[in-house]
Order: sequence, then C-alpha cells, then structure tokens
Amino acid sequence: MRKRVALAAFAALAQGMGAIAFAQQTAPQPPAFVASNLTETGVRSMAANCAPCHGTAGKPAPGATVPGLAGRGDLGAVMKAFKEGNREATVMHQIAKGYSDAEIAALAGYFAKQPR
Amino acid sequence: MTMQRRDFLKAGAAGLAIGVPGCATMRSSAPKSRVAVVGGGYGGATAARYIRLLDPSIEVVLIEPSEAFVSCPLSNMVLGGFKTMADITMPYAGLARHGVRVVRDSATAIDMEKRQVRLARGDPVAFDRVIVSPGVDFMWEALPAMGGAEAQASVLHAWKAGPQTAALRRQLEAMPDGGVYVLAIPEAPYRCPPGPYERACQVAAYFKARKPRSKVLLLDANADVTSKGPLFKKAWNELYKDMIEYRPNSKAVDVDVRARAVKLEFGDVKGDVLNVLPPMKAGDIAAPFITVNRRWCEVDWTTYEAKAMKGVHILGDSLLPAPLMPKSATMANGHGKVCAAAIVALANNEAPNPSPTLLNTCYSMVSGKLAIHVSSVHKYDERERTMKTVPGAGGVSAAMNEAEGAYTMNWAANIWADALS
Repeated sequence: MRKRVALAAFAALAQGMGAIAFAQQTAPQPPAFVASNLTETGVRSMAANCAPCHGTAGKPAPGATVPGLAGRGDLGAVMKAFKEGNREATVMHQIAKGYSDAEIAALAGYFAKQPR
Repeated sequence: MTMQRRDFLKAGAAGLAIGVPGCATMRSSAPKSRVAVVGGGYGGATAARYIRLLDPSIEVVLIEPSEAFVSCPLSNMVLGGFKTMADITMPYAGLARHGVRVVRDSATAIDMEKRQVRLARGDPVAFDRVIVSPGVDFMWEALPAMGGAEAQASVLHAWKAGPQTAALRRQLEAMPDGGVYVLAIPEAPYRCPPGPYERACQVAAYFKARKPRSKVLLLDANADVTSKGPLFKKAWNELYKDMIEYRPNSKAVDVDVRARAVKLEFGDVKGDVLNVLPPMKAGDIAAPFITVNRRWCEVDWTTYEAKAMKGVHILGDSLLPAPLMPKSATMANGHGKVCAAAIVALANNEAPNPSPTLLNTCYSMVSGKLAIHVSSVHKYDERERTMKTVPGAGGVSAAMNEAEGAYTMNWAANIWADALS
C-alpha cells in the first residue's frame, strides 16, 4: 500500500520535474524506532496491547473463546512459529512480525508469570 | 505541578495531624495524585481502570454523562438485527470496584488555572492531571440544513452508539420493502474507517432477510473505500449482489430534510432512510487543545500530554492520528494504557516509557457470522516523534470467514472487560 504510494510519487516526480529534482529526492527513510524497553514496566506496557483480544494480563473474560496467554510456558515458541509462518493463523502471523525475537521472549516471560 | 503537589502534600500532612486515630473510615493518607478523566469511552474508561490497577494510591474520577457504556463497535449489528442494544451496553459499576469515582455529569469546561473540571450540574472536580477522551463531535456547519435539532432528529448519524442506533434501526424497520437506504460518508479522517462499509453490509443483511427489494446506496466523499476495500467489495458482490450501490467521489454538501434527499456538489440523491455522517472533529470539550486544522489535537505519543497544554492528556478519536493509525476502539484502548502508565510513572517521579508500542486489530462483520480484519503494529519513531507502523507486520484477512466472526465477539468481550470490569 505504502509502496504503491511511494511508487506513484516516484513516477510523478520523474515525469514532472526531471532528473535533477529526482536526484535530490531520496527514498523515504526507514522508521527510526527507539530501542525496545525490556524493563519490567516496559514489557508490561507492551503486553497490555494483547488485552483487547486475550484479556487483561492475558486472562480472557468469562465466555471468551480465544486462547489465554497467562501462565503459559509455550508462548515464545508459538509466537516464533507465527512469525516464521510455521503456524496457521487468521491474524497472529501478521502481528507476530511486529516484534523482535527479544521482545517475543520478554513477552513470553511476562505472560508465563501471570496467574491463569 | 511540583508546586501544587507540594502544597497538596502539606495539606495532606496537616489533615493527618488533626485526624482522629483509629477511625476506620478515615483515609490513611492523602492521594499521591488526583486524575480527572473526561469521557468514559474506550480511551477514558481504559485509562481510569489501568491507573488504578497500576497504582491504587492515585485518585481517579471519571466524568461521564451516560448511565452506561454503549459500544460503537458491534452497534452496526443492531442495525442488522443480529444484536440488541442490551448486548452492546455495559455498566460502569466495574470501575467503581477498582476505586474509580464515577460521576454521572457533563463536563462543561476544563479550567487550567484552578485545575478543575467544571460540570453541568455538580461541584467541580479538582485534578493534578486531566485526561480528555471525548471522542468526536460533528462539524454541522458542513451541512447547513442539518444545524437544527429537528433536522438532527430526523436524519440520523448513529455514529455515537446509543439512542440514535436504536432510532436508526426503527427507521429501517418502518421503511417499506423496495425502499432505498442512503449512507453518506465524509472524507477521511473520521471515526472508524471501515465502519460505514460494515454498516452497508449489516443493513443489506437485514434487507436480504426481510425486505429483499430494498437497496443500500453509499455516497462516499472519498475516492475509494477507505479500509479493507477489496474485502468489502467482495462481500457486497457475493453476499448482497445488486443490493449495494457504491458511488465514490460523492461528497454530501447538504441535506434536504423535507424532500429526503442528500445534496451532492452536482445533483440531489433521494432516499427513504437517510443516514448522513457529518465531517468530524475532536470532541467539543477538547476544543481548547486543538492544534491542527481546527479539528484535531496533537500529543506527545509517549505520555499523550497535549501539545497545547501541560497537564492535559488526550486520547482516542480526538487526536490527530499518527500515520496509518485508525480512529478505532482498539487504538483508544491502547492510548489509554500508554497514558495511564505514563501518568503513574510521573506521579511516582519516574520517567515515562520512552518506547511505547500500540497494536491495532479492527474486525468488521460483513454478515451475521462472517468477519474480516485489518491489523497493524505501531512503534515510536524517535526521529519524527510519532508512532509508525512496523514494516512487514500487520495486514488484512485472506478472505471473509466464520472464525474471525467468532474472534470479533471474543474481541468485544475482552476489550469491554479490559476497559470496564
């Protein structure tokens, strides 16, 4: 999607302004993400993003059908399988790709310690 | 801030000195900090709950005029006849169990000199920090004939879940078979990008079951479907063949309420039920903190503190979104938690997390059972000081499917509990 927009801009630029303007235009910079915060509070904050689908601190609401994350020991391996495309998913294969291996390990460690 | 906290501590200590020892109802110490939260939607309710979860010594007062929380997500299913208003309505009682004081009143102003929120009926609520999470309000000036209360009671938006949701359902029920339902969509950004296209599916599902000669006509101010376009178009074509007509580049500029017509730049479009979404802006109470296009508020994404005012934190749909950040319930819930953690850190003289992350999953129900999603992961870009999506992560459904329909209901149960239980 963004690539398409960038390409369109590239084409417009090359046509409209010529080679000089093009040479001055650099490709969009990759994001300059700040280093991940793997302190206790940093990981807790990152883990809070899982709650809308998996419940506060990984404990699903009564009646919810999605797997809980709290008290599990296999989450690191499961997330890695999603990330590498080795496990079927509707959405988790897309989400797992947003996290580094170190973040996945830290999240897995956090949820392993949460009460079921 | 520091000054005030010191004064407050002094007052607290004095209170303690004259307190009666052993009195069980007496608070053992003054609150560390007082936070007022204006608006009990996905952003405000979540922030209130998480501040108390993270640090129960912080006093939290939530100001919300509605008796109960009514969810915008899933409200389109009320129009489709698959859910009732009761299904999408939750009490605020859960927050009280965490020690949040819930005040049922309307905030009329945020007084930064006195550091208090003024209320329509009750006494002002004092604060050290205030969280403003009012959602959106409408730019009625963009639709001149819609300015009055009578017009607004007749041509509904139903873009804030509640009485209008139920009223729009009644209009659809009263419409004879063979009628035309017209939904006018404003230019992006607006609350819930996929919402109008989901609504088209839900209304069409109702028509297909009960009024099969009826039509859904979408007048979109945008050049194309703004979210999950190919998936929605496939659903319209496969599930509701010839029932949904989509007209891009069709911006509503006014409404002829009496003639029941939406006025476009060129020509009028008549319908039996008109559902017009006006352009949107930050909720009215956030108006003093708007910094962009007289519509949206900018914040520091590590704390959600407003660029316009220290001590004011803004969440949810009132924000100028970061690139590719939708105005969604999941996003507001995420804003609420980053903001809550930052306020707790600041109250404890610690630095807020310099590396906030957000995660979004928006499900849309294209029928009573089938759903599609869009997802994204957002991290903090320190060079541009904004949230950006992680390249390669996120995406949309491969196809509409029942599993995601079940996950949609699951999402609702869990996010409602995460904000309110």
